[in-house]
Amino acid sequence: MKTISAWLLWLWVSLVIVGAFYYAPLAEGFQGGSSRILFFHVPMAWASFAGFIAAAVWSVRYLMTRDLRHDRSAYVAVQLGLVFGVLATITGAIWARIEWGAYWNWDPRQTSILISLLFYGAYLALRGAVEDPEKRARLSAAYAILGLVVTPFLYWIMPRLTFSLHPEPVVNAEGKPKMQSEILQVLMASGIGFTALFFWLHNLQTRIQALAERKSAAREQGYGS
Amino acid sequence: MLQVTSTSAAETALPLRFTWLSEVVAVFVKDWRCEFRTRYALNTLALFAFTTMVVVSISLGPIGIDRARGTKVLPVLLWVILLFSVAAGLPRAFVQEEESQTATALRLSATPSALFCGKLLYCLTLVGALELLVTPVFVTLMNLEVVSPALLAGTLAAGGYGLAVGSTLVAAIIAQARTKGTLFSVLAFPVLLPLLLLVVELTFNAVAGGGGGVALSQLLLYDASVTVAGLMLFPVVWNP
Amino acid sequence: MDLSGGNLGVVVVNLIIWTGIFLWLLRLSRRVREMEKES
Repeated sequence: MKTISAWLLWLWVSLVIVGAFYYAPLAEGFQGGSSRILFFHVPMAWASFAGFIAAAVWSVRYLMTRDLRHDRSAYVAVQLGLVFGVLATITGAIWARIEWGAYWNWDPRQTSILISLLFYGAYLALRGAVEDPEKRARLSAAYAILGLVVTPFLYWIMPRLTFSLHPEPVVNAEGKPKMQSEILQVLMASGIGFTALFFWLHNLQTRIQALAERKSAAREQGYGS
Repeated sequence: MLQVTSTSAAETALPLRFTWLSEVVAVFVKDWRCEFRTRYALNTLALFAFTTMVVVSISLGPIGIDRARGTKVLPVLLWVILLFSVAAGLPRAFVQEEESQTATALRLSATPSALFCGKLLYCLTLVGALELLVTPVFVTLMNLEVVSPALLAGTLAAGGYGLAVGSTLVAAIIAQARTKGTLFSVLAFPVLLPLLLLVVELTFNAVAGGGGGVALSQLLLYDASVTVAGLMLFPVVWNP
Repeated sequence: MDLSGGNLGVVVVNLIIWTGIFLWLLRLSRRVREMEKES
């Protein structure tokens, strides 16, 4: 990422932060200023799911090309998905505490993201248990794809099972007219910012991963570094 | 003169008289034959299931759980018993092949899809046997009144299938990794979770009264999806 | 516009945290580039 674009990202996210507090009004039906958290919590959840999907896509590309770079990209996507997922869960829990009195409520969305975290963890556990790079890539790719097949069922089933505390009409940004336009604008802008951040982090981490692999391979061959 | 023109297992190793179906049956028969020799999986599944059931019924029985709460809790417990028994006994289907090194022979001689279906059939019959064993005992021990036995049977069938197909695929994955014991549970539970949610809901409906509804179609769709995923992913998992 | 003193503090803290993270990422990016040039 060139330095200019990086600083543009800085500016963008800074504007989002300012806009979240000064431009967007408070959302109706929320305790005090707590609705502001949604400008960060929601994009983090998006980024987490994007990581999940990206991992599956890269897994498919690996299986088709057997190029280990795709496997590395999938691995990093899962790592980032986990990080953003944990952050989203924590911010969500804080918000839940303010709004509904308890950190955890087994609300469908909370539960779904928790199960996604279980998937990330399982993927990483699988990778840790296989040493051969090609075998590891193959097996984790298969598991990532399996995960993607299964997860939509979760989102499909869960809302029916428990009454949702998640403020559906207000938080859902999919064109629901109930959300005021300023809120929607900041939310979208934040989403874009977090997505860009995700890709920047992904780019950095894949390169670091590649360097680390090169270093350990060189060490194995007996060259100092 | 023997000329090997391709490395595909199906083309080189098998003469034309071996159809795909006969391969499936062959794998199925082989696994059961091995199983009857040692009865390891059956014993593990049965022992685990019965021990858990005894624990559950002792904890709930003498303490006396009231009817209303019982009908809510017991469907979950039934499926927890089934799930954990499966996790204890099923992975062997593939792990054993890798450990005894018969996996290499299988890789050379069997078509991957036939192998998957053969193993799936084997796991299905294991799960079916487990359910046949556990459910009547469970219902009796807990004094459970089942309003709709047909729905219960259907749920056990579709749910059991889902358990089997998901577990077969995950077992194939972990068989090639280290730390196979705990890794199976770690990998399988997130995959099986949607299934569990559905079957618990359906079992509860079967016990308390209430139709299959949308949950049943979701369950069947889940089964179908995982089957397709399994058929497509197994060759990838199996072949280097 | 919702101007209030409490908000200003939160915004400033957030900006400081974000800028800190950002600068760290920039440094990381530079170091990765250097290491890639070496090898």
